[in-house]
Amino acid sequence: MASIDLDKMLAKIKSTQWALSDIDWDAPGAELITEEQWPKLKEFMADLMWIEHVGARAFAALAKKAPTDTLREIYSYFHAEEQRHANAEMALMRRWGMLEGDEIPEPNVNLRIIIEWLDRFADEMPVYVLGTVVPMLEIALDGALCTFLLETVKDPVCHQAFEKINDDESRHLGVGFTVMEMQGRSASYIKMVQMMARVMDPRLILGIASYMPLLNKMRDNVIAMGLPEEKLYKAMQKFERIGGRTEEGRRNPWFQLIKQHGRWVTNRSNKVYHVPVDALVKITGMVPRKALPAVPSWVKELTYEPTATR
Amino acid sequence: MSTTEDSKKTAKPKAPRKKAAAARKTTARRKSTARKKAPEKPLSVLIVGAGFAGLGMAIRLKQAGIEDFIILERGNAVGGTWRDNQYPGAACDIPSNLYSYSFAPNPNWSRSFSGSEEILDYVHHLVAEFGLEKHIRFEQNVAELRFDETKGIWTATTDKDVVFTGRAAVMAQGPLANCSFPAITGIEDFKGKKIHSARWDHDYDFSGKNVAVVGTGASGIQIIPELVKVAKHVKVFQRTPGWVMPRPDFSTPEWNKLLFRKVPASQQAMRELLYWSHESMALAVIWNSPLTRIAERIGKWHLRRQVKDRWLRRQLTPDFTIGCKRVLVSNDYYPALQKDNAKLITWPIARISEEGIRTVEGIEHQVDCIVFATGFDVSHSGTPFPVLGRGGRVMGDDWKGGAQAYKSINVSGYPNLFLTFGPNSGPGHNSALVYMESQLEYALKGIRKIVGEDLKMLDVREDAQQRFNKSIQKRLAKTNWNSGCKSWYLTEDGFNATMYPGFATQYATQMSEFKEEDYQTA
Ligand SMILES: Cc1cc2nc3c(=O)[nH]c(=O)nc-3n(C[C@H](O)[C@H](O)[C@H](O)COP(=O)(O)OP(=O)(O)OC[C@H]3O[C@@H](n4cnc5c(N)ncnc54)[C@H](O)[C@@H]3O)c2cc1C
Ligand SMILES: [Fe+2]
Ligand SMILES: [Fe+2]
Repeated sequence: MASIDLDKMLAKIKSTQWALSDIDWDAPGAELITEEQWPKLKEFMADLMWIEHVGARAFAALAKKAPTDTLREIYSYFHAEEQRHANAEMALMRRWGMLEGDEIPEPNVNLRIIIEWLDRFADEMPVYVLGTVVPMLEIALDGALCTFLLETVKDPVCHQAFEKINDDESRHLGVGFTVMEMQGRSASYIKMVQMMARVMDPRLILGIASYMPLLNKMRDNVIAMGLPEEKLYKAMQKFERIGGRTEEGRRNPWFQLIKQHGRWVTNRSNKVYHVPVDALVKITGMVPRKALPAVPSWVKELTYEPTATR
Repeated sequence: MSTTEDSKKTAKPKAPRKKAAAARKTTARRKSTARKKAPEKPLSVLIVGAGFAGLGMAIRLKQAGIEDFIILERGNAVGGTWRDNQYPGAACDIPSNLYSYSFAPNPNWSRSFSGSEEILDYVHHLVAEFGLEKHIRFEQNVAELRFDETKGIWTATTDKDVVFTGRAAVMAQGPLANCSFPAITGIEDFKGKKIHSARWDHDYDFSGKNVAVVGTGASGIQIIPELVKVAKHVKVFQRTPGWVMPRPDFSTPEWNKLLFRKVPASQQAMRELLYWSHESMALAVIWNSPLTRIAERIGKWHLRRQVKDRWLRRQLTPDFTIGCKRVLVSNDYYPALQKDNAKLITWPIARISEEGIRTVEGIEHQVDCIVFATGFDVSHSGTPFPVLGRGGRVMGDDWKGGAQAYKSINVSGYPNLFLTFGPNSGPGHNSALVYMESQLEYALKGIRKIVGEDLKMLDVREDAQQRFNKSIQKRLAKTNWNSGCKSWYLTEDGFNATMYPGFATQYATQMSEFKEEDYQTA
């Protein structure tokens, strides 16, 4: 598959916008959520919505960093689109009676740590790091989880919303992989050395440390909801397949790194990886919420209301 | 700033109601002499536009003893920019003592930076003091300028087919005189009130209203603090944040005004001081120098001091070199954004709907009124109306690849025509009127030559113009404007036909010399 034309992509993005008010959130169908599904779905949706929001923040960092005007603008749209996904998912939660009052669902501790990390360091990360991590997360978490959700939930409004969300996502992935290929093409030996040196950057290690438990935690969530683990892994293998479809893509060392990580995650028998990371999940699960710093103000921009007067 | 070059549905500016009284001071309103046929004897000079440039030209002509000229003005009052930009908070960014003509000083400026009403008063003062009313023809919207080579005469034809002739013509129609609503999808669907900053509606009452402001450039950051004071809620839609510098604004003490009145030399000294302090800013703003970093640091310090929230600060941090776009000045913009009834929105706009603005995060922001502080229709490669020169050549065609002139003021093939704010005359760091004065002096030299030597034609040589442009584009390449950000200074292809790459002093030197050998005469 050849790389896409980014200018055309930007025009396409601009011409295919949707808003929360395009969906009737009070249409019938909410009753199709079974009582048994409800509590797990609630937890799942809360995590999903936060992942979208975290993805949004990562795109915001990319929007500052991207090498061309077109890419910067594309990423600023993606930033807002991920926020839209989070907003729409909150609107679904509200529809299903999963929000108490005006409350934003509480992010789990892993997410809180990622939010903190993004807030402090995302803007300083080189573009090729985020440009590789983000598509990975998108496929693994966003993509796989959404497919699964649609298989489990019968509510037509949910399907209507995710049809729109998935359209956006397919464009995110198209751009994501194109950019990875672009980077592979220009990555000279020196660049690669520099990139590898980055791995030693303590800020990045922090990021990876919070990202790894997140993947494992999501795996636990998904299994709790009855998703066969393999589905998640299949999605991650898709990253490897698409990202590595061209020579340029394969040459991007970040692709190699993330791919390797994906392999560890999907290989349960890799004790070296899973024992400590699962332990991390447990530990982070025990961190008292009070110990975490106040959420940054970009988190407060989430809303499930299709219209706002203030 | 918007650069919709094709939008020609330019609204004709009227005197704002509030200013009606002031406008009446100029008794020559509505003296529209409708003559279908051109008079036998052409005037010496036709001036298009009664803003600072046109009126300044008129004053210099009178001072030089040339009385047979007229000013064609499409509006019904003088003042141009300052007649049109009467939005709340409108003020100039340049100290008043520098934003005025040295040949007509005003000792009474009440503040170091004057508001638009006070500037407009100064304009009316100029008209009265120099007896310009009788020269102005209001409500004459020039639709074409055409040169007759055999007679050596310029003909201005208005949109109502009224015709005026002159031996020389001065284009003073303003660099930022035309505006239109931006081409945002769905803008015509909006059922609430739409206001353009440069065509303010003084009858609209903002109290109790939810208001959106689109645009955070020079006008936006002046309007927002004022709206936040009166409206119920103000949402500010920003595309790119600009550099905002602190403004050292203070009112002029009475003793100071008295001093300026009694000892005019003291005001001249002040003017010089201000002039040189602005000149030094060129070092920071025009070229990427150590001073650029210092200026950026001041901007960041100002932001850090006024905005405590990290995310909001990030949203407001510019990502281009200072000076690449116009540097903004304000002390109350950042605080206003943080008021309880204000909110900064940085999500891209997806469309405008019946009830408000939909942004890409999926939310419709419902408002009663949208204020567009989206700038002006700036043309880099055309003229606001057709200008036809020798052999019927059209200036807009000659400028297809970007506007070019000789010393910003003459264009080869268009004899006896003088441009104000022509290509590459833009001041990035100093008062536009400082630049204007050197243009007026230059035009005066040319006009005196045409009239005094009874020339049919004073036309700049093609090769002289080419030489000039080669050197100016070379110099521009090294400036911050050409450093990679998109701005209204540049064409889509990044050609800079707007700014002058140097100090005002260099510009003045360039304009002080009238090289006869660069001209062809007949
Ligand atoms: C909000 C704002 C703030 C500014 N602040 C500063 C500042 O702080 N410092 C600074 O140096 N500069 C500033 N400027 C730039 C300002 O435009 C110039 O300084 C100056 O006022 C321009 O004068 P002018 O006479 O060339 O143009 P204008 O003032 O625009 O006058 C042009 C006149 O020509 C008339 N006209 C236009 N087309 C036609 C036509 N076809 N036929 C007949 N008449 C026509 C118009 O109606 C208008 O009256 C600012 C501009 C704006 C918009
Ligand atoms: Fe998403
Ligand atoms: Fe996405």
